[in-house]
Amino acid sequence: MGPLSRETWAQRLGAFRASPSTFMAGPEGEDLGRDLLSELRSEKLSEQTKVSLLALSLEYPAQLWPDGTAAEAAATSLLDTLVLLPPRPSALRRPLLLAATTALVAGDALGPTSEASRRLLPLLLCLACSRDLGRCFGPASEQRPLQATACECLRELESCKPGLLGGCLGLLRGLLGQEGPVQPLSLLLALALRNALVIQAKAGAGLQGMLMAADTPSGGDPWNWALAEEGDTHLQPQAPSWPPAVEEECGLAVLEPSPEEARELRAAVAQLLDTSYLLTPVAQAQLLWLLGWALRGLRGQPPVFFKPQLVRLLGTAQLTLLHAVLALKAAFGEALFTAQDEALLLRRLTVAAQHPALPLPAHLFYLHCLLSFPENWPLGPMGEEAAPLLLGPQMGHGLVPSLLHDPMALLARLHLLCLLCVEDEEKGQERSPQHYLEELLAGLRQRAALDGGPRASATLCFQASYLVVRCLATQPTVLTPLTHGLARLYHARPALAPHFVDLLNRVGPELGEPLRVALRQEVVSQPGRDEALRWHLQILAKVADGDALSATLGFLGAAAAHCTDWGLQQALLGVCRALLRAGAGDGLADLLQALARQWEDPDGRDHARLYYILLAHLSGPKLGMALGPSPAAPTLASSLVAENQGFAAVLMVQEAPAPIRLSVGPRGVAGAGPVLQLQLEVLEPVFSLELRFRVQGQLYAPLEAVHVPCLCPGRPCRPLLLSLQPRRPAPTRLDVRALYTTPTGLTCHAHLPPLPVNFADLFLPFPQAPEGDKLGFFEALWDSCLPKGAESRLWCPLGPQGLEALVSRHLEPFVVVAQPPTSYLVAIRLPPDSRLLLRLEVAQAGGVPVAFRTDDWTVLPLAGDYLRGLSATV
Amino acid sequence: MAQRAVWLISHEPGTPLCGTVRFSRRYPTVEKRAKVFNGASYVPIPEDGPFLKALLFELRLLDDDKDFIESRDSCSHINKTSVYRLLIGGGELWPVVAFLKNNMIYACVPLVEQTLSPRPPLISISGISQGFELLFGVQDFLYLNQKNDTELNTKLNQLPDLLLQACPFGTLLDANLQNSLDSINFASVMHSQKQPAWKVGTYKGKPQVSISITEKVKSMQYDKQDIADTWQVVGTVTCKCDLEGIMPNVTISLSLPTNGSPLQDILVHPCVTSLDSAILTSSSIDAMDDSAFSGPYKFPFTPPLESFNLCYYTSQVPVPPILGFYQMKEEEVQVKITVNLKLHESVKNNFEFCEAHIPFYNRGPITHVEYKVSFGQLEVFREKSSLIWIIGQKFPKSMEISLSGTVTFGAKSHEKQPFDEICIGGTAYLKLHFKILDYTLTGCYADQHSVQVFASGKPKISTHRKLISSDYYIWNSKAPAPVTYGSLLLVRCHN
Repeated sequence: MGPLSRETWAQRLGAFRASPSTFMAGPEGEDLGRDLLSELRSEKLSEQTKVSLLALSLEYPAQLWPDGTAAEAAATSLLDTLVLLPPRPSALRRPLLLAATTALVAGDALGPTSEASRRLLPLLLCLACSRDLGRCFGPASEQRPLQATACECLRELESCKPGLLGGCLGLLRGLLGQEGPVQPLSLLLALALRNALVIQAKAGAGLQGMLMAADTPSGGDPWNWALAEEGDTHLQPQAPSWPPAVEEECGLAVLEPSPEEARELRAAVAQLLDTSYLLTPVAQAQLLWLLGWALRGLRGQPPVFFKPQLVRLLGTAQLTLLHAVLALKAAFGEALFTAQDEALLLRRLTVAAQHPALPLPAHLFYLHCLLSFPENWPLGPMGEEAAPLLLGPQMGHGLVPSLLHDPMALLARLHLLCLLCVEDEEKGQERSPQHYLEELLAGLRQRAALDGGPRASATLCFQASYLVVRCLATQPTVLTPLTHGLARLYHARPALAPHFVDLLNRVGPELGEPLRVALRQEVVSQPGRDEALRWHLQILAKVADGDALSATLGFLGAAAAHCTDWGLQQALLGVCRALLRAGAGDGLADLLQALARQWEDPDGRDHARLYYILLAHLSGPKLGMALGPSPAAPTLASSLVAENQGFAAVLMVQEAPAPIRLSVGPRGVAGAGPVLQLQLEVLEPVFSLELRFRVQGQLYAPLEAVHVPCLCPGRPCRPLLLSLQPRRPAPTRLDVRALYTTPTGLTCHAHLPPLPVNFADLFLPFPQAPEGDKLGFFEALWDSCLPKGAESRLWCPLGPQGLEALVSRHLEPFVVVAQPPTSYLVAIRLPPDSRLLLRLEVAQAGGVPVAFRTDDWTVLPLAGDYLRGLSATV
Repeated sequence: MAQRAVWLISHEPGTPLCGTVRFSRRYPTVEKRAKVFNGASYVPIPEDGPFLKALLFELRLLDDDKDFIESRDSCSHINKTSVYRLLIGGGELWPVVAFLKNNMIYACVPLVEQTLSPRPPLISISGISQGFELLFGVQDFLYLNQKNDTELNTKLNQLPDLLLQACPFGTLLDANLQNSLDSINFASVMHSQKQPAWKVGTYKGKPQVSISITEKVKSMQYDKQDIADTWQVVGTVTCKCDLEGIMPNVTISLSLPTNGSPLQDILVHPCVTSLDSAILTSSSIDAMDDSAFSGPYKFPFTPPLESFNLCYYTSQVPVPPILGFYQMKEEEVQVKITVNLKLHESVKNNFEFCEAHIPFYNRGPITHVEYKVSFGQLEVFREKSSLIWIIGQKFPKSMEISLSGTVTFGAKSHEKQPFDEICIGGTAYLKLHFKILDYTLTGCYADQHSVQVFASGKPKISTHRKLISSDYYIWNSKAPAPVTYGSLLLVRCHN
């Protein structure tokens, strides 16, 4: 494509920005990246247009150059363009540096083997050091801004490849001490220092003189790709992990620097903090976050450096600065903030959270900070919002909500008020916070009741009610007026029914139960023929149950005549379904029959008749199951779908939590092979139980399923015997699934916890040895093990009961020759065809030496573990 | 502490999309880090179209408020900060920092340097406050001295270049965008070692320091036994220091007359180098007593080039400047009103203007007014259903004025007449608007002789003061009125 005019480019860029994905899928998409690079060198385009092209490449490199090769080529081309610029002032140098950096990072091309990286990095470092690069880098007037830009590029590279500049710390310190621009160098040094400390601490290495001020990078290549490789594997969060966690948990191992290193480190940090007032407030905040994080994991480095800065920071209204102070508070706690300091910080936060000179978003953020305040000695559980201990009622009073507040401020302040109410002791007084809370909620309800009022005010009212219930669920003095108030609100504006249903779905029984009753009374006392009928039916479908049935049925009977359209009929049928589910039989049958006769719409009529038949033919629990929505899928609005789901549930196998407990019992009597004795307990009646087993690792032959016709809770069940056929003599676990029928007729399926099969569960005795020569029999077995097998000796610790107890408890069936207390000879058969022979010798203090042989060397470690573990299980 | 993307969206109710993306900027290198840090919980930044739609929905700025929508209206979906989660393409984009101001929505998505599930608390995310500061900075830049839409468009067009300067890689370098604009224009200024990053160049010319103190007074008056009236003064001290040298030092002292009201809740500009602990601790949280620190309040600082707010304060003066009552009674389609206002004798009786606005909400247009005023004149805005009582420059000698009358309303038509959620039934207010020049209610002043400047040349020092009303409400005492907890508490204290 030939050179494009400015207007064409403007159009093209506009189309791209409107929807990058659409543009890239179109005919022009493929060429955009290439065209952009070549146009940057065109002499026809103005600098301004070229800057806008570069701006695009800064935002969408992944779309323009989607893979590493393309990104590498693009970065190379951008660097070439930079070098070829004529030596006069140009607005392109900065964005070209930014674009080359972005292309390399975004395309994953940054690395020691990338040619473009090898060109860009030294260039950036030279610029950052303000070294003379010759005329091609523009006039002297541009050097300063380019130096700053180079620092920014390096900082971004270090952010994306932590540790990359680990070798440049000394150099950067030197530059900062000289005439370099303070802000870019400070931020770059702080970031590189933080990353180096974190990575070295993880690797257990020291700082290795990294901080020594130097004019040139110490020895050869300054890029520490090895350190960056380390850093890559655990890109560290910059935020001190919050709430303050144990050091190991936050991923920051503890680094203990040598005295010399500590001195250098202190000097570097002091250097950074001393000039921090020259930084813009946002940059000061970044510096504090970085240094706080860097020093947090260091032993013996008290954070006193920060103290002189704090008073200055606490005085400001800057969001970032106060936030950074809170970060330091969270990172260092009492080491930096005494109880008095903590009180002062809280005071400043409280002031800031309501200061009329600050904007609303700042107020809200400060309120959040109050509720999540990092206390020195928090009382409540971590991570939960709470009012800080030192925030007394006096301080809290200014933060109490009023109807005049913005909704978000009202909710935030309301939360705080609720937390204060929990602690408040002057309950029931005329002017207590609780009384005020009631008035406030009443005001919100009055607003929500306003006919035609915006949805937002209704939402606010319900959110506030929900918040209050969540915080004060145990206080009847709050819940009772709230329940009455909400019922009155429904009376005033039934159109809020969806909000009521939503509220009932979210709150616990403390409010849910009384509110159900109040709403039901409210609805059934209505004539049932007004415009609000659909809302009444929606509420009833949620709250109707077996209680006050006649009133409910009376209301429905009266309403039926007014349900003239399909929607209303379905809503009424919805209430009937709820009653069927609740097991309300009498009276309902009459209503359903009446509906089946009375309604003209065939769908409504058929449904009524269907419900009547179900009611007449199914027992209570089954009916509930047939009509209940499947727990897996959300109910659709259509009643047909809801019913279909109910029936399908009866026909299909349901996944359910098991009402069955399965465990391995004592060892059974030996048969031909090892047998597990299983014990079964059930929490509810279970019919036609089938247990299926799967052997993990296929170490044994597949197991047969076990069937039990009927199980009842409390009634003992005979033990189930499960024969194992090992293919190898090794322990394993059995996955267990249960398939059963419930009393309600549902077929259910459940996963039970896996059953362990221990090594000892496989032990079998040898067939009876010849009566006279037991010793000879054992010796023959002993000798036959070698040379194919293996022998070992170990020290088997003994518990207080001694050797005899151990043998009688664990090895009794397998003893061939016993000469207590001096020795035992034990022969164990391990299916399918291995053997394990033990010689237990004279017991000594605390243990017994055991020699053992096996003809299968894979058994050796298992036997070792088994013997060592014996004393623990005595 | 970086941002993944920034947007400016104009809110245009009534149009098909209800808004337009006026500016957006993405930061792909930050996005790269987000992908690593967020792991499985990573949700990519959407394109402008889907973002606009999701944000307007969440902020309730689409015109589809009619139906209950659970994902937005559920009682458990509680937002207590200007940080939102947006449902986009099956994912949840969080945290989205956003707020609406002057029909413009400012939004950004800060990088969270850990997994997003479970969500970490906002306080632990450094990018949140950085994001707010960026958006406040953009807002200040757009609306400072902006007069019309053309100017707004010009400034919007400057934004890409400015952010390239102030936030090249998503990490904010300076929230003061005007500084970035200046640094583009003054690229050739030679810098020296100690040049602060917040000061782009140096001033050359006649040295001068200008200090102006603006106090706003708010009030809620009820004229009721069981509810106390409240009022509060909020002060802003603005400085412009034209001084030569890189780091000139200035100390400004604010003083109070002997009967002045102590300044509280003092927040200072970050350029203030040190603060007396008495300034740091004096706060409206504490009960007032005579031992409160009453100045002089010293602020040593190194000024930036531009005009800036040196400090903000609040104060609790002993009496409100104008005390009044408003009685309104409904009688079918008419209301009867009586208003009485009294200027306190200690207040300077020389206004630039003074007006009482009396709106009538949730009613039809005014069809007829009969009234009597003891002073000033009354203007009737029939369609807007409101009255404005123009009191003028001075209260009469008696310091007390009154208005009484009967207002008749026509039938209500929903579109035209103002709707209000609070002023239902008899609940109504009048709002006072006034301004007094060369006066502060606290008595606070900056003495020219107490200003110390350590710079070459003797600067000319000028000081200005003014008092203006802000949220000055007098509620109808014949009906319920919204109260704050403070009003109830004060009564308890007084009783």
